Amino acid sequence: MSGVGPRLEPPPRAASAVPSLRLRGLSKRFGRKLALSGVDLSLDGPQIAGVVGPDGAGKTTLLRALAGLLEIEAEEALVLGFDLRQDVRALKARVGYVPQSFGLQRDLAVLENLRFTARLHRLPEAELRRRADPLLARMGLAPFVDRPVGALSGGMKQKLAVVNALLPEPALLVLDEPTAGVDVVARGEIWRMLEERREATLVCVSTSYLDEAAACDRLVYLDGGRVTASGTPADLRAALHLELYRAWGDDPRALARAARTLAYVASARASGGFARIEIRPEHTPGEARVLRDLAALGPVQFVEPAPLDVEAMLLHLARRRIAPPGGAGLA
Amino acid sequence: MSAPAIVARGLTKRFGEFTAVHDLALEVARGSIFAFLGANGSGKSTTIRMLIGLLQPSAGSVLVDGVDVIREPRRVRDRIGYMGQRVSLYAGLSLRENVEFYAGLHGLAGAELEGRWGRVRERFELGGAEGERPESLPAGIRQRAGLALAMLHQPRILFLDEPTAGVDVASRGLFWERIQEEAEAGVTVFVTTHFLEEADHCDWVCFLEAGRLVANAAPDELRRRFSTGYRVHLAPARGAAEPGWRDEVRRVLGAAGLTSETAQDGLVLRVPALGGEVFATLRRVQRELEARQGARVRIEPPAMTDVFRRILAEAAP
Repeated sequence: MSGVGPRLEPPPRAASAVPSLRLRGLSKRFGRKLALSGVDLSLDGPQIAGVVGPDGAGKTTLLRALAGLLEIEAEEALVLGFDLRQDVRALKARVGYVPQSFGLQRDLAVLENLRFTARLHRLPEAELRRRADPLLARMGLAPFVDRPVGALSGGMKQKLAVVNALLPEPALLVLDEPTAGVDVVARGEIWRMLEERREATLVCVSTSYLDEAAACDRLVYLDGGRVTASGTPADLRAALHLELYRAWGDDPRALARAARTLAYVASARASGGFARIEIRPEHTPGEARVLRDLAALGPVQFVEPAPLDVEAMLLHLARRRIAPPGGAGLA
Repeated sequence: MSAPAIVARGLTKRFGEFTAVHDLALEVARGSIFAFLGANGSGKSTTIRMLIGLLQPSAGSVLVDGVDVIREPRRVRDRIGYMGQRVSLYAGLSLRENVEFYAGLHGLAGAELEGRWGRVRERFELGGAEGERPESLPAGIRQRAGLALAMLHQPRILFLDEPTAGVDVASRGLFWERIQEEAEAGVTVFVTTHFLEEADHCDWVCFLEAGRLVANAAPDELRRRFSTGYRVHLAPARGAAEPGWRDEVRRVLGAAGLTSETAQDGLVLRVPALGGEVFATLRRVQRELEARQGARVRIEPPAMTDVFRRILAEAAP
């Protein structure tokens, strides 16, 4: 296989030692459709940044732009110190990218796929094995190195895609819904891998799983092609004046229905053994009164004010819709 | 109790050498929300398609609303509503035209159609979308429209295949609220999802792994069997714990036979399940501590994701 595939120049040193990105007014147009309309975003240093937001918000487009895969317009667009508006070949050598749809060669074996990537990055065979073997072992893929990728399960394919992206030891790792539809065990393995890199790598990952969003160091909420909020989950939570309560009882569905009749309740539904009740901040009559009202809903066994979960947070961000220009970011 | 809405026995589907679904047995109680979980490729869609008569099983039997689906697939049609993975609305037709098309399939027309559609349109907040084509609607509204169409002929049983996939979290929450209202009104809901936390919105959970059931129980039963239990965090409602606050709480807990561990700002109690006695004790703690700093109680249920991880670990050969 020697000589097969394009050759890149040896990866140059990054313009800055700490992985970072700085975007101002970044836009991307596909024909008449404006997929990104002025993204402002700064991320400094290694961390896991979760890109969240409704379908069609522009998450995939933003991630592809970060990986240097799109021509974009911007006032400023620095990724790892490289300007996205100029030649991005040097950037690409330092980015690991996992696309939403599986991008590896189905008729090549697991190790052959990795070898292909290693060649692109001019890694000698010994270095390939030194890097790949522990990754494959950690992901439970070691027994399958000779298996054609097309014969792997969905979860194994995604794990391999992550291993493949990690192989060049990128400073920036971009993953587009890497765990969508993947089984819960593989999902956990992929996330452990990401979490091990949060000290050294800038990880940008989109997800629609709430537990994954909660595990991010920083969340970037995208809506209508713009960043409408970004910050640590704690920052975002603190900026919300939303109240969440739980009413526990034997028939939480009936409790939820009763709660919906209270004028200040925004939404209520049964979840596990309790009714999860959200209250619009502008309508709350105060905690003491809410606790009293909820206790009187019916056969309630216990009422508690609950900490805001990621779901409540994202819901609130979704309701705010697009922030006024320049008003992006709660933190 | 009335007969189950759905009964499957020995349900098996082979595609050549490959067994997609293996000897499945399940029962769905009337008026319940039945979560059918599993990863992509675990056999969920194959099962649902056999249950509604779209796919002939290799072996086994299925009764839906008392009708033998394999012998009389057509008789099942009017009793069930189905919403597929990619919401089954026709692109190029407006929502209203889609409504008329679906109504026609079920012989609905005229005043009856208008009355029913009017009610459904209001409940699912679709008034503004009627003239729109599905492809120009946001995913959340398209999903509501799909659900509305599946409900138009007032089916007794709803089959929903990944209704929340690709839908933002806000729409997902509202969707579950609506589904629970349907169940309250007596509709049986059979729903697949790969968002495991959504199991908590359901009455019963089946978990499919490589075509076999690895769990089949109520969510709380799964928690009891496959987790370290609920974590109940107790701290003073006012200020930092003064000397004696913990002792007082321990005394009340101890009287109920409960032991706790010391935490930085209070105490932590672990219980395998919650119920009348635990709640009564927590209320007693709050009452008796009211005179001295009060007590704030925070209950942390074990995450469903972790429960399923454990189920899979134990099911692994």
